[in-house]
Amino acid sequence: MADYKEAPLMSRPKTLDANEYFNLSTEKRRAEEERAALRANLKRQYQLQLNNPLRKELVEDPALTRWVYARANPLPHFRPTFKTSLMGALGGVLPLFVLYYIFKTDRNKKERMIKDGTLDRTFSMTY
Amino acid sequence: MRASQSVREQQPVNMAGVGFRRWAQLLSERKGSGIPALFPGARAAAGLAKDGLPGSFPKTPEEKAAAAKKYNMRVEDYEPYPDNGEGFGDYPKLPDKSQQERDPWYQWDHPDLRRNWGEPMHWDFDMYIRNRVDTTPSPVQWSSACKQLFGFIGGALFLLYLGELFPSYHPVGPKQYPYNNLYLEKGGDPEKQPEEEVKNYEI
Repeated sequence: MADYKEAPLMSRPKTLDANEYFNLSTEKRRAEEERAALRANLKRQYQLQLNNPLRKELVEDPALTRWVYARANPLPHFRPTFKTSLMGALGGVLPLFVLYYIFKTDRNKKERMIKDGTLDRTFSMTY
Repeated sequence: MRASQSVREQQPVNMAGVGFRRWAQLLSERKGSGIPALFPGARAAAGLAKDGLPGSFPKTPEEKAAAAKKYNMRVEDYEPYPDNGEGFGDYPKLPDKSQQERDPWYQWDHPDLRRNWGEPMHWDFDMYIRNRVDTTPSPVQWSSACKQLFGFIGGALFLLYLGELFPSYHPVGPKQYPYNNLYLEKGGDPEKQPEEEVKNYEI
């Protein structure tokens, strides 16, 4: 499995990840310990609130609040650049005109056929 | 009684957890008026201060450190999305891994989401839940899986195409009818005898 190539957008299995076996320097361990300390602190806060017998309300999660707020308010951080203008034009302006053109030509063709009497309306229910 | 009720008013009260009766009690004691007075504590981010919310892209190292602290991450781990005006602000860029990849045996605070309370959420968290997009490694290598699937489908399609080019049927001959090839049914004269007995067989 030395030549294992991971699929695009998918991760490497943990057992094939070199980091698990070779990155055991003191800096990496210190980093892992700091992360564990942060995690433990959050766990402690949550458990204290969860098991508080005098608590009457829901335990609110500030990370969730921040996520919801960030997803709902991208506008203050929006800046019109080349990429964002292109995305706006391709996704918002272009479909409008393209779809109008497609539907209008199709409808005109159908109307032409109806006027000429060539449209097969055997099973038409709205006629 | 008075003292405890005024203390309760100062705490942000989550309306989902408080009963209707208590809400009516609170209302009667509150001094405000108008619609905002009906829902005490229902601010945009009750319990979270204004600077606990996401802000704009951090430019100086101090801003970066403050943002990392706000999101409960190490300063070295914190990496904001690049500042190209796409609306991310200072939200951290977490690795694109689905929740299915996380350890199923660890005691998560929310086991169905495999997430702990207070942990920074990925921007696309609702996409990476276990019911949706999954980034776990495939059991077979991607190239091998592609070759097997498309090889099979391609081979089958090719054979079908060959079948269209070189069709083969059971041998058939023209249909044989009795009674002198249906002489009477086809409008032949009943008086006249047919010219010769039609024999559709060979012995």
